Amino acid sequence: MISRWLSLLAVRAAARLALRLIKIAAAVVLIIAAAPVSVCAGISVGAAWLAGWQPARLYRAALWCAPMVAVWLAAIAARHNVAGLVQAPYQAWLAMWRHGAAGAYPAAAAVIAPAAIPLGLAAGGLAWSYRIRSMQAGSGGLAPSSAVAFDLRQWRHQARSARARIAAPGSVPLNSPNGDLIAGAVIRAVGHPARRTAVIPYQRMRSHQVVIGTTGTGKTTLLLRLWAGFVASALRRHAAGSGSLPLLVVLDCKGGGDARRIADRARRVLRAAGAASTAVWPDEASLSLWALPPGQLITTLVDLIEHGTGGAAYYADVMEAVVALAVEAPPGPPRDTADFLARLEPGWLTMAYSAAEHDDAHALIRAAARQTGDIALRFRTLFRRLGSGLDGPGGFGDADAWYCILEGTAETSVAESQARALVDLLASYATAAPGGRGQAGGRRQILLAVDEFSAVSRRLPIWQLYERARSLGLAVQVSAQSWQGLAADEDERYRIAAAADGGIWLLRTPHPEPVTALAGSRTVTDTTRRLLGVPLWSHQGTSRMRLAPVVDPALIRALDVGQAAYIYRGGATYVQVKRLVAAPAAVGSRTAETAARTVAAASPRRQEPAAGRDGRPVEPIPPGLTELLDEAFGTETAP
Amino acid sequence: MYGVQLDQLASALGVSEARARAIVAGWRKRRLAESARLGPGAPWIWLTRAGLASCGLAYSPAPPALGRLAHLRAVTAVRLALEAASGYAAAGAHWRGERRLRARAGGRVGLREHFPDGEVHWPSEAAVAWADECWAIEAELTRKTVSRTAAIMRELLTRTGDYGCPAAEARVPGRPARHARVLYACAPAAVATVARARDALGGASVRIEIRSLPPDAALPPPAGLRVGPVRIATGRAATRRAATGPAAAQPAAAQPATAQPATQPAAQPAATGKARTQPAATERAAT
Repeated sequence: MISRWLSLLAVRAAARLALRLIKIAAAVVLIIAAAPVSVCAGISVGAAWLAGWQPARLYRAALWCAPMVAVWLAAIAARHNVAGLVQAPYQAWLAMWRHGAAGAYPAAAAVIAPAAIPLGLAAGGLAWSYRIRSMQAGSGGLAPSSAVAFDLRQWRHQARSARARIAAPGSVPLNSPNGDLIAGAVIRAVGHPARRTAVIPYQRMRSHQVVIGTTGTGKTTLLLRLWAGFVASALRRHAAGSGSLPLLVVLDCKGGGDARRIADRARRVLRAAGAASTAVWPDEASLSLWALPPGQLITTLVDLIEHGTGGAAYYADVMEAVVALAVEAPPGPPRDTADFLARLEPGWLTMAYSAAEHDDAHALIRAAARQTGDIALRFRTLFRRLGSGLDGPGGFGDADAWYCILEGTAETSVAESQARALVDLLASYATAAPGGRGQAGGRRQILLAVDEFSAVSRRLPIWQLYERARSLGLAVQVSAQSWQGLAADEDERYRIAAAADGGIWLLRTPHPEPVTALAGSRTVTDTTRRLLGVPLWSHQGTSRMRLAPVVDPALIRALDVGQAAYIYRGGATYVQVKRLVAAPAAVGSRTAETAARTVAAASPRRQEPAAGRDGRPVEPIPPGLTELLDEAFGTETAP
Repeated sequence: MYGVQLDQLASALGVSEARARAIVAGWRKRRLAESARLGPGAPWIWLTRAGLASCGLAYSPAPPALGRLAHLRAVTAVRLALEAASGYAAAGAHWRGERRLRARAGGRVGLREHFPDGEVHWPSEAAVAWADECWAIEAELTRKTVSRTAAIMRELLTRTGDYGCPAAEARVPGRPARHARVLYACAPAAVATVARARDALGGASVRIEIRSLPPDAALPPPAGLRVGPVRIATGRAATRRAATGPAAAQPAAAQPATAQPATQPAAQPAATGKARTQPAATERAAT
């Protein structure tokens, strides 16, 4: 009995082996018989594996062969008849073997190419699709870990292809033909359409966005591209008559030398994108706080001064009353800081409100007379620390882009006051009626980009900025080095991230889980495999559906420089950001060299004698100069 | 500067207007330049993106602004007058236009910065007493206020940094000034204001020179104004004349190759012997 059972087992094993051999032999015969198609399919699968392509790309390539096939069939129909079309592939196959047997390999390839290339590409696409799906399901490969290795290898291949794509000149322009922003080359897409380039529709740039990435991950490069893309798209729309002029306002809340380097780079990049002027505040340009409407100016001035609660609220009320008296005085709002400080004096206020109808104001002035000196002292100290950046002249309408540097790291309290004033100024500009005091601010499309705003958000919570911007029609782009840097507390962070309806850009960061969780999950197939014995696993097992995160936190932690995940509507696109190359900076060192060779400066306040290269005074009118000018323009003009 | 009128281009090239017209036709055919009658007088010529690129310039291509035509013509006239002076060419001086200065400054906002209409740089090896100096050139057609004009003069005289330098280097007390002199070429209406502004400067006024604009600096009266594209011969013969015609245009176009410094890319076409077919001369006049 036992021997018969063993014989049966042996026969079954031999039959299985024979069946498998027959299958293999049939496959080999088929592959050899359809050698041109097999070769083409093999090449296409190899190329897709090497470049990390999706199967759809092979299908599209097969479709692009349709014109070639059509011409080929038309030529056959013209030479023979329509019935010959049915036999065309078979006849081509026969002709290919005949040419091959005769050693005419180029002729053999030419004869079969119109039929073999599209079929090979399609077959390659199917095979590649099968391979990917089996790996994603966990049923492919020799070992269960093969799927993980396959995925990592494909990521490397896809990233390499994306890097090559952005390195090719002109392959990744700043804007698509319809004016949308192109951030870079797509590495991989999950839940998003798999395109070659990451196209961000312009409308998303008009919505709130969040950018998170640690230092050295390419965050600045990404931000510069987004800003330049926004400006270029908006300008293009404006030129086409379908939108207003853009205004980009960047609040760099870290400050320091690094901020100034980025400002210089931003200016050059934005210049190339079409922004005619970029103002760097407060280094090179100024804004006027006194351009605010009187009501808003009172609120802003009072908020600039830090005051406590409880008993201190009394002094806050007194301060507000005095500031309101100074701002709304009959001579009109103050013109500048000096004018405002001069008004914080009981005598000035009494004179200003000397008319009989201002009895209430007189009562207030008398009541607050003892505190007015203290209030003036606090404002004098505040404006001394703020500097001249908010004392004008200038307004947001004077430039296409503003890069505002707040020293949030070195002087936090000053930067907080500046941030508060800048946001109030921008809000006032955005709400100004077209043609009004705000210089048509209501007609401009404004993007407010804040970097590390949490550093200065103690007195203006960022969610308040969000809500305010939403009501004003501004788009806010918040960037931070980490999830924790986004806002002061967890609730506020979630509010910011959840309100980013323009998408979240996630670069390498050590704690991406809160953001990746916001991207949601997707359904994947999970397959178990039976262990036959180390290191052998069978291809039998069970599959089940499970939820997996759309964005893998481990992948985010391993992102390379310049790689970012764009999370939007439950999908993610991994992008290799294309760096914008700006025009070279002005050569500053030439300043000293050139200037050293010329004559000495003559200060408008203190006249100094002109000096030559070696310090000797030069003659005001050297010999020969008059003759040269007389020859060119005639004798000197007398008024 | 953003464009040049045909008669001034002819002067810059040292050819007749008919010859300059044929040269422009060649440039137009090659899409290197555009021309149109934008205002009274001769047609205006300006470089296209391809023309600017062929000169190695990265400016934004744009036709001259209609509101600035008179000013552009005046500045070009001042430049041509200076370049015609014997001492200018002998010293090897070169012109640096407002457009180039603005390009160097990039997108820097001009809230606090005034750009002169041009700069003249005198090489250090020139055999003149003002060698190694840099002059600011201003063409004044209209009357500003005295205070505004004086403020511009002060700004030019006290500037220490090149245009486009970091803001901290633009005016450094104690450092030598960038502009040794400022030359004002004025229309009759503006002379008195400029002179009063110069007097208001005190000791620094010795560095201000005031002269009249050249006679041909003004636009002709607007009678017979016709706006629209100009008919410039673009036929094969005209193109051939432009490409292989007499070498009359060559000296004027080749001159900048020696006059301009190596940092000025407009000189490159001339240096490669293609001056007759490249719009470098227009760019030389236009920048």
